[in-house]
Amino acid sequence: MRVRAIRGRRLSLGLLAPIAALALGAREAGAQAGTGSPAQIIALAATKTSQLTLTVGSGAVQTIASLTDNTVNSFPAPVVITTSWDVNPGQTNTVNLMAYFTTPAQALVGPATQIPSTRVLGRMATGLPVAFTAISQAAVGGIGTAGGSLRLYSLNISGANKKANRTDNLELQIDLTGFPTLAPGLYSGTLNLQAVTQ
Amino acid sequence: MLCPLNRALAGAAALVLVASTAQAQVNLTSNTAAVTLNATKLSTLTVSPSAATATLASITDNSNANAFSNVNLTTAWNLTAGTSVRLVGWFANPAQALVNGTALIPSSNVEGGINGGAFTAFTGAPVGTVGVAGGSLQLFSQPVAAANFFANRLDVLNLRLNLVGAPTTTAGLYTGTLNVQAIVQ
Repeated sequence: MRVRAIRGRRLSLGLLAPIAALALGAREAGAQAGTGSPAQIIALAATKTSQLTLTVGSGAVQTIASLTDNTVNSFPAPVVITTSWDVNPGQTNTVNLMAYFTTPAQALVGPATQIPSTRVLGRMATGLPVAFTAISQAAVGGIGTAGGSLRLYSLNISGANKKANRTDNLELQIDLTGFPTLAPGLYSGTLNLQAVTQ
Repeated sequence: MLCPLNRALAGAAALVLVASTAQAQVNLTSNTAAVTLNATKLSTLTVSPSAATATLASITDNSNANAFSNVNLTTAWNLTAGTSVRLVGWFANPAQALVNGTALIPSSNVEGGINGGAFTAFTGAPVGTVGVAGGSLQLFSQPVAAANFFANRLDVLNLRLNLVGAPTTTAGLYTGTLNVQAIVQ
């Protein structure tokens, strides 16, 4: 019995495959009750994916029934935006909400002319542009377009708010002051909203 | 020998996993929400007189030398369709274009012209929906097309009373309202 056990240990040194070791251990167990096999390590890894979502509760379609030249035209109701996140505060400094037009020169496209993003203003009383500001800024964190973006808020993340949400109102205007007279017709466009962590 | 090696491999794998998680979380982006913006610019057509009142200081009976002060009219339009812009002057009650108590001057004795052109009585038919039968006068018809869908023009409206052959008027102040309105056809 002792000779067989020594032979078995030599074999285990020569073999690297765990299955072989397990098979050998089983033989040992059968051969010598109460003797344990070498412990094997199984690394466990489970990832909780960070989450960042955006929903528009109301105001997803904004309408001005009659544009007036050479004045500020306000959209009648705000866009109600809820941002939810569940992030690692050790790897996330801020949550930012961006508004942007894909083509700033043609924020709203009409029958003959376009309204650029410099003429579309946004305001978020609970955010950064508390006064109406043109959507003509730079992108942030790869979100947005150069000259066609507006950062609506930037919220610092800590352990206390690593999982939270917030709801904000975005008010919009079209400022045609000093702008060439528009041809009659429908002007339409898409304002994109997207959150990004940094 | 085997156990430390496995531990090292497992540890390295865990580190790689953590590192890749951290890298993914930086600049984590949300879904994109789209807000549709719609704004309508309506067609416009306006007439703006330079003065609200045209006056005639002294009426001369049996004469057409009764010119009111001129009024400048600016007609502006911003259109997408139509072939003409027409300016129409009209009295709501042609039989009583100007009134002085019970004394009346009908629209047939009121004449208008544009930019020094010929005078014509306000006795015509409406133009489209603008005007009153027997009390209207088309002052101009401006052709429009894509090239001038957005334009304006300035005209001088000349007005006078033509009392040639009319009964002698009663002394006093005669007042009335001439409506000026443009229409696209």
